[in-house]
Amino acid sequence: MMDTIIFVLAGAFATATPLLLAAIGEAVVEKTGVMNLSVEGMMAFAAAVAFAVTYQTGNIVLGFGLAVGASVALSLVFSVLVLAFSANQIVSGLAVGILGLGLSSLVGRNFENLTMMAPANLSPPVLSELPLVGLILFQQNAITYLAFAVAFLTWWFLARTRHGRITKVVGEDPAIAHNLGFAVIRIRLFAIIFGATMSGLGGAYASTILTPGWSDGLIAGRGWIAVALVVFGTWRPLRIAFGAYLFGALLLGDLAVQATGFSVPPQIMTSLPYVMTIVVLAAVSRNALLIRLNAPVSLGQNFRPSK
Amino acid sequence: MFQIIRAPLLGAVLSMSWSGALFAQEPLDVAIVAPNAIGDVGWDHEVVRGKEVLEERFGEKINVTVIDSVGEGPNATRVMNRLVANGTDVLILGSFGHMSDGLALAKRSPELKVLHIGGYQNLPNFATFTTRHYQASYLCGMAAGYATKNQQLGVVAAFPLPEVLGILNAYVLGAQSVNPDLKPVKVVWLNAWYDPPRDRSSAESLISQGADVIYSLFPGTPSAVATAEEKGVYAVTTLSDNSAHAPTKHLCAGQANFGVVYADVVQSVIDGTFEGKDIFAGVAEGAMEVAGLSKDLTEEQRAAILAKQDAMRDGSFDPFTGPVMNNNGSEAIASGKTLNSSEIKSMDFLVEGIDSRLQN
Repeated sequence: MMDTIIFVLAGAFATATPLLLAAIGEAVVEKTGVMNLSVEGMMAFAAAVAFAVTYQTGNIVLGFGLAVGASVALSLVFSVLVLAFSANQIVSGLAVGILGLGLSSLVGRNFENLTMMAPANLSPPVLSELPLVGLILFQQNAITYLAFAVAFLTWWFLARTRHGRITKVVGEDPAIAHNLGFAVIRIRLFAIIFGATMSGLGGAYASTILTPGWSDGLIAGRGWIAVALVVFGTWRPLRIAFGAYLFGALLLGDLAVQATGFSVPPQIMTSLPYVMTIVVLAAVSRNALLIRLNAPVSLGQNFRPSK
Repeated sequence: MFQIIRAPLLGAVLSMSWSGALFAQEPLDVAIVAPNAIGDVGWDHEVVRGKEVLEERFGEKINVTVIDSVGEGPNATRVMNRLVANGTDVLILGSFGHMSDGLALAKRSPELKVLHIGGYQNLPNFATFTTRHYQASYLCGMAAGYATKNQQLGVVAAFPLPEVLGILNAYVLGAQSVNPDLKPVKVVWLNAWYDPPRDRSSAESLISQGADVIYSLFPGTPSAVATAEEKGVYAVTTLSDNSAHAPTKHLCAGQANFGVVYADVVQSVIDGTFEGKDIFAGVAEGAMEVAGLSKDLTEEQRAAILAKQDAMRDGSFDPFTGPVMNNNGSEAIASGKTLNSSEIKSMDFLVEGIDSRLQN
């Protein structure tokens, strides 16, 4: 039983990592008032590129680098549509997302069902040998540590720095931000690129470390879960991190409980993460103040600076 | 009036030219439709690999077209209609989900012959085909029973459907037949055909609980197999030899050979003896065999496994011969009784020694 609990608590960090990275990226994008729904497509494209490159060259750093590049390239298409041509954000995001999924199938075509070895986890000396805590916290992959660090830094950036406040002002009211002399379009562009970088990292992590292999459809809705997590965490990075971890634990809990031979209808366990999402979203939505305080007012609205 | 007279005439002329084409030894057009992208192992790989057998056996006499990534739905309907419009004579459908489209098409085109893998409905020109995968899984179960040190087997399985239950039960019976000390077998149901991250997590979860042989029962990807290799435990696989994904830890695979059945069906079309029957083919027909046996098994152990395979081939042994107990304590197969094909295809129990309960 103890093994199972440790397995879930430790494994949840790994399962949560791609969700967390993508959700933090999307949260920052949404904080500037832009809704980028191509997360799933960016993750899939990055995952395919990361696997293909790492499989061919054996160089995982190069794989991650090109994966992020691929994801950012997709987001630039989105940026041109939304920022330069003021196209509808929802439609543009969906379209670019579908493009990303298509590109992932194309890139991954020759790599279908291939697998490779996952790189070893980081086990810092002393810390990883601590009883219990060491097993749960300190035998994770470098990207997992990075993901939680990014969540913390993003919180710090948004809440504590001047640039963070400017970012939020852009999302609240781009016209005022513009009148105050801030470059709204440029800030939104940076945010979109940051979001794409995070989605790219999340996708690359999924295909090279979490499940070191490629099959078409590998991301399997994780990008959409990330988008939902942003609302789940009411646009606050630390809550999003908590939500991602919870989701990761629930995804694993189902499998771990079954492996103990414990008799819970598996359909219930499998649906639990999604039921939880609905419950939390409903609870969050009931609290109008919480949404009003945290949701960017201009979310989804384009801005064209007047000359 | 004029048209009413003309229509049958036109039909007669058309049918004459049609039979003329047949006499001219036009090659038979065979099309294989696979539901997903083609990998180097697994379901779609096997569905498409049957092409090689066909080409080897019939050579110039047939043309084989392969179309992959055609999941069920409007796209499948479109692709199938197109194939038939282009003159396909034999259509091989590789997904359960192609059933309703295929049936509709077969009704509309009586000249067309369809072979559907994994379904359960037939028409005079619509045959179905399922492998007796449970036979190979019994043999792999023996390998697992020999290889386990912890006496703990773990299974990552797709859905608790009759076919999957049959394969799982045979696997456990095979393991028990050579190893009386086995602990109850642990099973994780993915409740999905395809979810690589969960394949992997399931395998890790089973390994964390002491399982040292992981059976990857129909997950769509080799993730569980690669995980076993990484963690240093044995992997047993379905459908394809997965040795490439677990070079040192591949214990055994149930290898499917769909091509043997394709060839029989195509031959029957050429001979004009095609029937819309339900084909259930296994070791005896060459449609299933054990493959990729680990070097870690001793000579005697391999010999015992292959001897059992021979016994299945000549019909002297059947995995589902009683007495077999259900894992809720009742009798599943009475002593001396052997399950028939339809009982195997509607299996709804788990045998004693499996640590999992079926819901409903």
